[in-house]
Amino acid sequence: MIQLERPSVPESVERILDRHGNRPQAVLQALIDVQHAWHHVPGAVVLALAERLGVPAVRLRGLIGFYSFLSADFQGDFVVHLSDNITDQMAGSRELSARLCGRLGVALGKTRADGRVSVNRTSCTGMSDQGPSALINYRPVPRLDAKRVDLITDLINARTPLDEWPSDFFVVESRIRRSDVIFRNALDSGAGLRASLDRGGKNLEAWEEDLAPTDARKHQLDRGGAETLKEIYRSELRGRGGAGFKAGIKWQTVREAAKGDRFVICNADEGEPGTFKDRILLTEHADMVFEGMTICGHVVGARHGIMYVRQEYFYLRDHLQSVLRRRREQGLLGCNILGSPLDFDIELHFGAGAYICGMETAMIKSIEGRRGIPRRRWPLPVHHGYLKSPTVVNNVETFACAAAISARGGAWFAGLGTPQSTGTKLFCLSGDCERPGLYEYPMGVSVREVLRDSGALDAMAIQVGGPSGILIGEGDFNRTLCFEDLAGVGTLMVFGKHRDLFDVITNFALFFQHESCGLCTPCRVGTTLLANYVKKFERGCGSPVDVEEVKNICTLMKNMSHCGLGQTAGNPFTDSLLKFPAIWAQRMKTAEFVPAFDLDWALEEARSLTGRDDARAHFPPVEA
Amino acid sequence: MPTFFLDDREVAFKEGQTILQAAMSGGHYIPHLCWRPELDPHSSCRLCTVIINGRPFSSCTQPALKGQRVECDTEALVAMRRAVTQMLFIEGNHHCPACEKSGRCKLQATAYLLGMQNSHFSHQFPVRTRDLSHPTVSLDRDRCIRCEICVRASRTLDGKDVFAIDGRGIGSGLAVNSPSGLLKDSEIAPEDAAVRLCPTGALMAKDQGFEVPIGDRLYDREPLSVVELREYKARKALHG
Repeated sequence: MIQLERPSVPESVERILDRHGNRPQAVLQALIDVQHAWHHVPGAVVLALAERLGVPAVRLRGLIGFYSFLSADFQGDFVVHLSDNITDQMAGSRELSARLCGRLGVALGKTRADGRVSVNRTSCTGMSDQGPSALINYRPVPRLDAKRVDLITDLINARTPLDEWPSDFFVVESRIRRSDVIFRNALDSGAGLRASLDRGGKNLEAWEEDLAPTDARKHQLDRGGAETLKEIYRSELRGRGGAGFKAGIKWQTVREAAKGDRFVICNADEGEPGTFKDRILLTEHADMVFEGMTICGHVVGARHGIMYVRQEYFYLRDHLQSVLRRRREQGLLGCNILGSPLDFDIELHFGAGAYICGMETAMIKSIEGRRGIPRRRWPLPVHHGYLKSPTVVNNVETFACAAAISARGGAWFAGLGTPQSTGTKLFCLSGDCERPGLYEYPMGVSVREVLRDSGALDAMAIQVGGPSGILIGEGDFNRTLCFEDLAGVGTLMVFGKHRDLFDVITNFALFFQHESCGLCTPCRVGTTLLANYVKKFERGCGSPVDVEEVKNICTLMKNMSHCGLGQTAGNPFTDSLLKFPAIWAQRMKTAEFVPAFDLDWALEEARSLTGRDDARAHFPPVEA
Repeated sequence: MPTFFLDDREVAFKEGQTILQAAMSGGHYIPHLCWRPELDPHSSCRLCTVIINGRPFSSCTQPALKGQRVECDTEALVAMRRAVTQMLFIEGNHHCPACEKSGRCKLQATAYLLGMQNSHFSHQFPVRTRDLSHPTVSLDRDRCIRCEICVRASRTLDGKDVFAIDGRGIGSGLAVNSPSGLLKDSEIAPEDAAVRLCPTGALMAKDQGFEVPIGDRLYDREPLSVVELREYKARKALHG
């Protein structure tokens, strides 16, 4: 619980740093704790932290300026962040935001004069299945409606501590609508790990008798890792974060790296708007995810695992830590796992509000306590990752699949789905459907089937894979969800026939503008120019020339941007211009470009002053 | 020595060189603003983008490979570089006629080199603060293109770590490492590499304005590419 009393500065800085291990990499984690405790990062704390960690204060300020959930100015005793995803908007978030601000007497984005409260907008908080939602003092409050907003207003005005609020306000439901073979029955915790270790030979004495006991055991451990890697290869498992890179290749590269430290990172920075599968996995199947990470540690020879969890899921911290604790007690984490020579442990790192940190190189920088700026492409993290060491970065779902593969075999997994997309996949359904939530299907399921099952009976368009993905219309509903066809992280936002798709494009444009890290020119400037064009069309002032401009900017960003964010930020524009041109056309003032400035008319004054009216006094010159 | 093809020109390279380094060594200029031979590549301005096997790469970070075919001066790439330069102009406030750096400004010279005739995109007119607190160094954030040359140079060449980037996206900008956040309380000096290497008029030494007449300034007589290639060659001769 956030304390409303603020403890004196230096004492708490010490305590916070002790908790995070007093090293420069801990700075972001420390800043998050400071933000949670004081609802801003006071200047004095910045200086105290800088001194203690030996980091220039300017770099700390750079972190505060970069991460959305950190702020230099006090944000009030109650900090409200309203999720502003398009699905929240469709469910009435903008009206609720106006209602909340009006009743509280506070302007959006400002702290009320008495310091009681601020109301801010934030990118999707990962609750699209139960929006509109908010984070209040960094705790999720989903399923908002007018009644709830009014109650919240009263509680805030009465200065009631969050612990005394109705507890059902904070209940996040796991809306699992359809399960398939991987997630239907939870794997026994330890089953995948035991299988992985057993692959090295169950009976130590039966083989390699000539080696000294420890060497033999290490050899056995290594052999188990090699065999499990074969199972991962056999499974044809591809990354579930959207890019679909083969997990086996990644793991093998790190396994074969030169001696030294290596790391396993789990990407739980689920930032793609409309996505919430990792939230549900971490809630319902955290054991499986940690187990997958541990198996990866076994295969690649890593001792350290890090799970990078987005700030919006900070509320899962206690749950995740208790699972980690239990696994340590069960001998599934720590030293000599299950009696073998395998040492592996996992620590949690939290993000602080930056979509870009879902990009693996940006995430690595964030874990190192830096601004989440994507690094150049080469060398890849598998060679040169966290702390310059070989690093596997995989998605939450990928690790969960790896645990299932180790327990049940690669061939079993490869038998599911399609030839190039094996296994099952989790899909996040939100928007205009009767049963929003999580759906597990074998890869290759058709969009139509998913829509039918989720009760999306009146769909006009679907955004597949989040804003950076692809917008499809009815003509594409027979297409299939797999790497061969519609790839992606598994997000389907449904837009019914009564929706204006231009609202969707506007939301995405502002999202990308807000989330561009600012490193490279095409994305930094391009996302702003695109957002400006959207605003121009929103006013009904568009023109065909503007459409050409938008297309050119999209092409430029796709070709010239540094990372995937800039390369894909134009997708909603190009897709909607191609498939739904009417939403643009109806916002145009003229069918062709008519500039406000008329050259010949501007010359009139000069003509009358000089008394000239010959051909060359006109523009363009008139024939005599 | 192994070679690769930069458009139709065969370029020799040493193992480990990037495409941009090899091209510059061979006397072929690829436009760039955030790259400096004495600093690690940054890959942020994106002007040096080239196409290899149909995919774009920044040549300042991409290693040269034997036999590789690199598209560099195609019409499409030049047009995109020009558009990126236009973006750099419109996101800041660049008043060339009044700027002391005019004639020796790399942003301006790049615009000339790429045949930029206008700013094309609508100007954003951002409101940015100037820092004139220091007696001998000025910081005009209106002219900053966020190449981070000063950030890197101050850290690695000057050993001072005076600058950092604050904020995010279009709102990101240069921050000064001092208790007050002002230059006067930092360790900056006008002879620092951070000041000397600034490609625009964002960081300048004070009290030395308009000393070279128009017509005789650095890029008045020769284009940026010729000057840069000559400097690169001289540098190679000196440092190898």
